Amino acid sequence: MAQATLARPAASDTTERVERLQTTFRYILYVVVTVFLFTPFLMTVLSSFKTSAEVIAYPPTILPSEWHPENYVQVFIANPNFFRQVFNGLVVTLLLVGLNLFFCSLVAYAFARLEFPGRNVLFAIMLGTMVIPSWVTLVPKYVLIQNLGLINTFGALLVQSYITPFGIFLMAQFFRSVPRELEEAAIVDGLGWFGVFWKIVLPVARPALLALGILAFKDHWNSYFDWLIYMQTPEMFNIQLGLAAFRGVYQNQWDLIMAGSVIAILPILILYVLGQRYFVRGVATTGLK
Amino acid sequence: MAVAVAGRRRGGVRASEARAGVVFVLPYLVFFLVMQAGALLLAFWFSLHRYDLLALENPFRGLANYTRLPENEDFKIALSNTAYYAVVVTILQTAFALVMAVLLDARIRGRGFFRSTWYTPSIASTVVISMIFLWIYHPTGLLNSVLSLLGTPVQHNWLQDTRTALPALMGLNVWTTAPTFMIVFLAGLQDIPRSIYEAAEVDGAGPMRRFFSITIPLLRPIIFLVVALGIIGTFQVFDQISIMTQGGPLKSTLTVAYLIYQNVFRDEGQVGVACAMAFALGVIIYILTMLSRRYLDAKIDY
Repeated sequence: MAQATLARPAASDTTERVERLQTTFRYILYVVVTVFLFTPFLMTVLSSFKTSAEVIAYPPTILPSEWHPENYVQVFIANPNFFRQVFNGLVVTLLLVGLNLFFCSLVAYAFARLEFPGRNVLFAIMLGTMVIPSWVTLVPKYVLIQNLGLINTFGALLVQSYITPFGIFLMAQFFRSVPRELEEAAIVDGLGWFGVFWKIVLPVARPALLALGILAFKDHWNSYFDWLIYMQTPEMFNIQLGLAAFRGVYQNQWDLIMAGSVIAILPILILYVLGQRYFVRGVATTGLK
Repeated sequence: MAVAVAGRRRGGVRASEARAGVVFVLPYLVFFLVMQAGALLLAFWFSLHRYDLLALENPFRGLANYTRLPENEDFKIALSNTAYYAVVVTILQTAFALVMAVLLDARIRGRGFFRSTWYTPSIASTVVISMIFLWIYHPTGLLNSVLSLLGTPVQHNWLQDTRTALPALMGLNVWTTAPTFMIVFLAGLQDIPRSIYEAAEVDGAGPMRRFFSITIPLLRPIIFLVVALGIIGTFQVFDQISIMTQGGPLKSTLTVAYLIYQNVFRDEGQVGVACAMAFALGVIIYILTMLSRRYLDAKIDY
């Protein structure tokens, strides 16, 4: 909206001064927003090296008066399941990312490319289901998973999240943009439909798969609700539920809560730094988290 | 185009294509029939019964679980809290997201840096965000420290006061979701041709005029999307409540989602009532989404 103002050549000294003032003002605005959105993270990292008392000291300190990196060891001692919980979260996240990538793209390929009866109706229904609150289906899903004997097992999470309508939608959007010539040639070569999907289409879909993989990793690693509902014993928690449970018991261990929070966000932060454009692309093309 | 291409193929290929299509779509079909459609029907059946996960007998009650909702004091409190929460958060997060996106759409130095840092709140889990905000809202936490720097020294316990607990949670929500929707708006802004802005500028339209006469009208479909997603998300708010306040103090942060959770998994195990509440919530979300579509996603006239 204001970029044109910047680009316009200065007509006189006064307008130049006004424009310089505007630019300064705008940069102050950008910095204020940045501080507002980023300070809590920065303070969390700094707090994780303080003593518990210093985290909530009044007046507050910014840098730790003494650095306590041992908080990061202490957090594993205070909560003996913490390592297990990090591991659980990682295993289930990786399994679900793999399942999501395979099943969402397979189904999306059918929706985007193959003519079969009921295709358009089913796709429309799928889009419609994205509006159904998860609260409506919660109890039946719980009863089903209970009857399958999957409560307090990873299976509870796998059977209900192996595929997501969001992932199917994202991949279908991508497949529609791929030129058909590639597949036509392969079909003539007698590759078979799965062969076409696996050997021709998937390799081309790498950018979309990366976007879906990264967003799925974020969602499954950050997952709290499903673990709260289906997991019952601390050694079966993921780090999110483990951290929430830890805080429930040790309300005043601010140093360890902060260190645990940093560990919980670290994998996502690394992924974000490495694959930022895929994050942005996934969110931007679908409008969903 | 799909039909034309298919028509050119031999019949055998078409039959094998249809077969492959059905087989490939099976993983979703199973998911849909069990986890979505089946679950939906079963939830409705539960809602017609006095259903208890542990009881042996679950007598039929007709629509009593629904008709009694308006007399349910907890439900009334939860619904009013949820509506208040949803309205404030949806409006604020949409407004902030739009303004942030417009700021980032400008050609300025360091744009990539600002976009990266502004988006960060959206990648953290609700648990981590809750931990951080428990500290921010602590009597000697960040918020009170900043307020004292600004000249109003307070040691207010934001989450323990019935007047400030819910607004405090709203603040947390806006802080995390505004950056997500900022990215959605940013994608929409980049689709607006620059030439429109340039023409308007030649006609003497200032930045404000351009924002309200070009940006807002052209972004209306995206504004609808963001508002709809906001309604769907905020009406189901649960994580922060369960981690930070458990509906307290004095039910001031009790939401419909948290009440459903309590009914199913905590004290009474009143599954039938909980399912009725969930359906009521679903209907409310659906109606509000449709209403916002009528007002926001209408055809644009020039």
